[in-house]
Amino acid sequence: MALDYSALYPVLVMVIFAAALPAVNLVAKSSRSLAGVSVVGILSSMGFVIYYMLNGYPAMMGGETVLLLRLDVFAALFALVFQFVALYVVLASARYIEKDRHQAEYFSLIMLATSGMIVVAMAVDLISLFVGLETASLSSYALVAFRKRDKRGAEAAVKYLVIGGMSSALSLYGISLLYGITGTTNLEGINSGLAAMSSGLNPAAWLAIAMLLAGFGFKVAIVPFHQWAPDVYEGAPTPISGLLAAGSKKMGFVAMFKVFLVALIALKADWQILAAILAILTMTIGNVVALQQTNIKRMLAYSSIGQAGYMIIAIAVASQFAVESSIFHIITHAFMKGGAFMVVAALSYVALGESIADYKGLGRRAPLVALSMGIFLFALAGIPPLSGFWSKVFLFSSAIDASQVVDQGWMVWLAIAGILNSALSLYYYARVVKYMFVDDGPTTERLKIPLSLSAAIAICLVATIAIGIWPEPVIDLCEQAARALVPLLG
Amino acid sequence: MIAIEYFIGLSAILFIIGAVGVLTRKSAIVVLMCIELMLNAANINFVAFSAYSGNMNGMVFALVSIAIAAAEVAVGLAIVLNLYKARDTIGLDEVNLLRW
Repeated sequence: MALDYSALYPVLVMVIFAAALPAVNLVAKSSRSLAGVSVVGILSSMGFVIYYMLNGYPAMMGGETVLLLRLDVFAALFALVFQFVALYVVLASARYIEKDRHQAEYFSLIMLATSGMIVVAMAVDLISLFVGLETASLSSYALVAFRKRDKRGAEAAVKYLVIGGMSSALSLYGISLLYGITGTTNLEGINSGLAAMSSGLNPAAWLAIAMLLAGFGFKVAIVPFHQWAPDVYEGAPTPISGLLAAGSKKMGFVAMFKVFLVALIALKADWQILAAILAILTMTIGNVVALQQTNIKRMLAYSSIGQAGYMIIAIAVASQFAVESSIFHIITHAFMKGGAFMVVAALSYVALGESIADYKGLGRRAPLVALSMGIFLFALAGIPPLSGFWSKVFLFSSAIDASQVVDQGWMVWLAIAGILNSALSLYYYARVVKYMFVDDGPTTERLKIPLSLSAAIAICLVATIAIGIWPEPVIDLCEQAARALVPLLG
Repeated sequence: MIAIEYFIGLSAILFIIGAVGVLTRKSAIVVLMCIELMLNAANINFVAFSAYSGNMNGMVFALVSIAIAAAEVAVGLAIVLNLYKARDTIGLDEVNLLRW
């Protein structure tokens, strides 16, 4: 039987461009032309995904015994999110790394990381899921270490490597136990294998759940596995911090959804409460620690941890509506948090510091950029009519909805904790806005932001405002995606 | 045939040695080696389960994860070497510029 590769075309395009970039570097020396080539690669890969979305999805890819990849509406939606993230990261990097060496490798690694993320979104088997996760992780380790002379970058890369390696080892061991219990690595096969077994305490399954929760917990930085994230986000080049927060982290959530909500859903009574406790801990600790940060990248990193707490709600609630809202929140978060990181990248390109106090008086120095930063931060806090407001409303109401069911009354606490945390987070977001527009800075000299960085910010800004004003089409897509991922959940 | 419990026991011991090493050792190289131990413990599980159930997917998974572990070491050693060049140490307790 010949293998049908059509589901893999969007990934193959990215990989081919990634392999070609170092060769292109022989002719095109500037970082701007390399970024241009990468943008062509990302757009053509996007073209494939959109073509499949409009004209029907290709057949599932795999052999007779193992099915590996399926491009359905869930995978296509996340492929588009990852490609958009890669697009604005590449645009921002075009000027950001213009003075560094090894630029071709940098863009090449961004493309490879994105292709790994898309593979995770398409995976229907733990083998392909693991390969995708590792492709993306290995590329991002190297990207964090990109500025080799930078002492903080070198340190951040080692921390990221050690934590990332340990998290893969934990999840691999968990996967091996699941394989031992059920005899298959297929996600749906694991579910039916577990469902067929006698109920009751199964220590091996418990151990597997704990390992997988810890392994993926490190990947998405939920408390208590979060300490690495602020260090790595601070030490990495800023566009890469954006890629990690908006891309890698979302990939971790996709993997978590697939493992917990598809493969392990038969055991959901065993992990639901645990996930709920982790969700509340994560959002509270993330937001409380963010209050006292003085470095803007660290503040955004802790706010990212807080937002991860909101997204875990979907796993704790495990209803189709919650998954749909969490997918929606992941999409809006990819643009608002990515946008905030792109603003920080643009400002550090024009030699503004990364301390929050450096943003004083920014409203006069770079009004448009300050305005976009304000919009991103308010969207993160959940102010209507921006995109973050809708996704939070959906998430919290999904928890309240689920709490109506008998024996699930405790889920209402997820919504309460989420709302309280949103109020808390407003404080540190508003502080930055106050610094930018109310306080006076030491100078009023205008800052000139280069075009490519402005374009990256503009993509995020348009998405944040457009999804806020006109959320219906995106919600529609999220609903289809949730139905494709978890057809069995109520 | 050796009972499967021995294989699972061996892999559990390897995994615990690796995990304890990651948490307690200070040298980045030793920590990388401990991560390898943890990955290989999982591989032993895959091969043992696969041999006992007659399902080949576990063997394939073990091969794939060996390849991934090799790639991880290649990237990892480069990053550790870079840390040594930038900071003149690979002691994980000595790299502490980034903290709150």
